[in-house]
Amino acid sequence: MGNCLKSPTADDISLLRGGDSPVDGQDPTLLGPPPPYQESAPVYHPAPNISRPAHLLTEEEQIKIAQRIGLIQHLPCGEYDGSKKARECVICMGEFSIGDKLRYLPCMHIYHKDCIDDWLMRSFTCPSCMEPVDAALLTTFDGSN
Amino acid sequence: MAQERSALLLHRQLGELMKNPVEGFSAGLIDDDDIYKWEVLIIGPPDTLFEGGFFKAHLYFPKDYPLKPPKMKFISDVWHPNIDKNGDVCISILHEPGDDKYGYEKANERWLPIHTVETILLSVISMLADPNDESPANVDAAKDWRENPAEFKKKVARCVRKSQEE
Ligand SMILES: [Zn+2]
Ligand SMILES: [Zn+2]
Repeated sequence: MGNCLKSPTADDISLLRGGDSPVDGQDPTLLGPPPPYQESAPVYHPAPNISRPAHLLTEEEQIKIAQRIGLIQHLPCGEYDGSKKARECVICMGEFSIGDKLRYLPCMHIYHKDCIDDWLMRSFTCPSCMEPVDAALLTTFDGSN
Repeated sequence: MAQERSALLLHRQLGELMKNPVEGFSAGLIDDDDIYKWEVLIIGPPDTLFEGGFFKAHLYFPKDYPLKPPKMKFISDVWHPNIDKNGDVCISILHEPGDDKYGYEKANERWLPIHTVETILLSVISMLADPNDESPANVDAAKDWRENPAEFKKKVARCVRKSQEE
């Protein structure tokens, strides 16, 4: 089993630092026209229809996103070894191949880690069964981890 | 990265639909070089007012599909409460998920990343057969449908005829 509880990446840390640390010298209180979209800058989704680069998020949104990242990192994950019944990731319609990084949701649905983590940042529900992941997380994993 | 993933997924679906066509519609690309723009032909569902029609529509996929839903627009005229006068389709599964904190009991009616061209079109076909007039995109069509079924039928019949000539 791979260890998924790695330390947060640099992006995650900047989110946790609070609202007073402007990224790349821009004043976050100046709400002018949004800067041109950059492929490299991380864009977050504080609510499903809102996409904003990290330095334009409110403090409340930053906390919400940081919490979500923390919850996702606590979900079990591992590598596909061919022993599981599930053979396909329904998000990308791709077959699992040996060594693929997988994410196991509490409802027992399995996806590629990359495929499901992006979705969970937007909606904390399993796309296959609509089970809210957080509710199950509290009952299934609290205390056992 | 996201772009490669969405293109791969759309190519898989296109291949699958070519190999195993689904009853009720046919699908292809508007331009062979652009996997993000699809053209579909929906057959008016039997035993509905739309029976006999062949309705052309376009699907526009975002680069971050399947995290985000495509937009769908009918090119053929379709008089229907859930299709606005520009042809834009307004159904809940093509809306991004609401704030799941308060709305997850309805999550199954919103966009999910497991929706494919096939599941979207099957939803649209069932919408043709069974309009939802709670939040209509075409208020006049919704009014006809509710209050003046004869007028609704007449306007739909006109669309069906027109679609046969296109
Ligand atoms: Zn996948
Ligand atoms: Zn599930």
